[in-house]
Amino acid sequence: MKHLTVSTLALCAALFGAQANAQAVTADPGGKADMVLLPKFLGILPFDQANRGAEEAHAELGNTGTLLYTGPTPENSVAGQIEILTTAGSQGQAVVMLSNNAGDQIAPAAEAAQAAGTKVVTWDSPIPSGAGETVFVAQVDFGSIGVVMADMAYSIMGGEGEFAVLSATPDAANQNAWIAAMEEALKGEKYANMKLVDTVYGDDQSEVSYNRALALVDSYPNLKLIMSPTTVGIQASAKAMQDEGLCDKVKVSGLGLPAEMVSYTLNGCAPEFALWSFVDLGYLTYYTSYLLATGKITGAVGETFTAGRMGDYTIEEDPGRPGAKRILMGPFTVYDKDNVEAEAK
Amino acid sequence: MTALRSWEGLLFAVLILIYAVNAWNSPVFLTVGNQINMFQLSVEKIIVALVMTFVIINGEIDLSIASVMGLAACAFGWMVQQGAPAGGAVAIALAIGFLCGAFNALFIVGFGIPSLVVTLATMIAFRGFARVLVEDRGISDFPDWFDALGQKGLIGPVPLAMVLFAVFAVLAYLILQRTAFGRKVYFIGANRAVAEFSGLEVRAVKARIFIASGVISALAGLLFAARVGAVRGDIANGFELDVITMVLLGGVSIFGGTGTMSGTILAILIVLALRNGMALENITGHIQTGVLGILLILSVMVPIIRETGTRLIARVR
Repeated sequence: MKHLTVSTLALCAALFGAQANAQAVTADPGGKADMVLLPKFLGILPFDQANRGAEEAHAELGNTGTLLYTGPTPENSVAGQIEILTTAGSQGQAVVMLSNNAGDQIAPAAEAAQAAGTKVVTWDSPIPSGAGETVFVAQVDFGSIGVVMADMAYSIMGGEGEFAVLSATPDAANQNAWIAAMEEALKGEKYANMKLVDTVYGDDQSEVSYNRALALVDSYPNLKLIMSPTTVGIQASAKAMQDEGLCDKVKVSGLGLPAEMVSYTLNGCAPEFALWSFVDLGYLTYYTSYLLATGKITGAVGETFTAGRMGDYTIEEDPGRPGAKRILMGPFTVYDKDNVEAEAK
Repeated sequence: MTALRSWEGLLFAVLILIYAVNAWNSPVFLTVGNQINMFQLSVEKIIVALVMTFVIINGEIDLSIASVMGLAACAFGWMVQQGAPAGGAVAIALAIGFLCGAFNALFIVGFGIPSLVVTLATMIAFRGFARVLVEDRGISDFPDWFDALGQKGLIGPVPLAMVLFAVFAVLAYLILQRTAFGRKVYFIGANRAVAEFSGLEVRAVKARIFIASGVISALAGLLFAARVGAVRGDIANGFELDVITMVLLGGVSIFGGTGTMSGTILAILIVLALRNGMALENITGHIQTGVLGILLILSVMVPIIRETGTRLIARVR
């Protein structure tokens, strides 16, 4: 895992080194661009953190336009995202920053918004086909998430036994890509004695995820680990194992927020988990969107820009989605009992 | 003043008020593009609301509509994915809607089980089939002509679904308010026992309404699939409550027997304009839902208060 993080860093350094020659574009503060930050739905901590990052960049750049943070209710996520994106086009917003929860169903609305002059920058979760999307700000390389999850499972399970995945919604593009990447990683010889027995979905709702986690324990008596690549799922699973006194038998890992996971990491229910900073993701997404809105970049492959305190980034082809473009934030951190408390404040 | 005394008159006044406030608040509201978007974003629900008006006036309920929409859309997507011609898949999806409606009718009319129970069960079952069919992963890549029907203008900028809504609204109005069938719908809804003793074909009327509900819901599901260019198992999930809300707001009694098509149509316009106005004002989804909830409570309360008031006045006199 350490090795991977190091190699990712090396890769990033190499990329950034190359870009230094390409003259990174910097933002002109004080422009005017109305922007909308549209999460999957309201009431989830990581999205609020992303908004904090966006607000930080908004203030830093002195944008005289507005930054609006709005989203649908969880029950109405798909139709609600389509509605907000469509309305943003009518309102003449400069950019909508979208964490997509509607799969390809949002593509026609995104294309219509683009036609109306509203750019669509996705973050956290892209439009699978890339249709109607200007660029995707990717948190980390999807392939490397798979390896990190496989490695955390390896270290917690001691390299052998049964484990299961508890994901978000069945059509969440990012979770599906990460699970696929993990399954790819598991083919390696190192993981030969580990068996992924099932993948279930908790709809990114606490209660559903909690019950799904308990159902997994019932269905697979030899289960040693629940791997949950969603902040809602990992917390609900850890709570379920703790409530039922199962933590000695079944561990929990995946992608979680330190603030939500700290107690489970310290009591051993979730000894290791990983995440990137949502604040940084919101900050970088805002910088990208502002540069697009003010015409400093166009969203073409190869464009390099400076995103304030985070440094230089380059727009590249998205290896996971042919024809689509991405900006790779990366890398991310693995949390355990030694470093979780410092992050959880 | 007399016009205001009727529920429709009141709804009309509210509608004018909402349009005026929205136009005042946002320069975008009255533009053709926004008005079309406003209808397009909910067009499938409002089409189903027309047939739901028949169902509720008839003294029944159909909770399975959104699941029929989902099943028809998923069946269509699945067939196209398997390589079937899209035209044939549309026809089969509509036939599935017919069968869903007939299945509901069989248990409600044939076995006399309350429609609340039957359609609650089929709401779950039809949704289950839809999820099994597409295995919870999205299907897209429909033929261009199919996507165009949902996304491009048919008459000028007005897309097919809105044209269909306009045609269906007129037809639904004529059938409910101007035909013998419409009068039977009211009569049965007001008092089923009397209707049966009078020799009305109660079962045939109810069966036809549930089958129509199934077919129209399937059509609405296909329109939704065309509009968003993709389907997945949860498509149209939860739409039944929005549809029923619009119909009840229109003054249709949940106990059956009363209400009008023009009431439903006015309520549809009110809900759409209100939602769109709030969206343009950047009001979040939670508050929008709350406002609609309050509106529904008021729509149930106002007639009761008015009735009590009238009775009290009569007593004083």
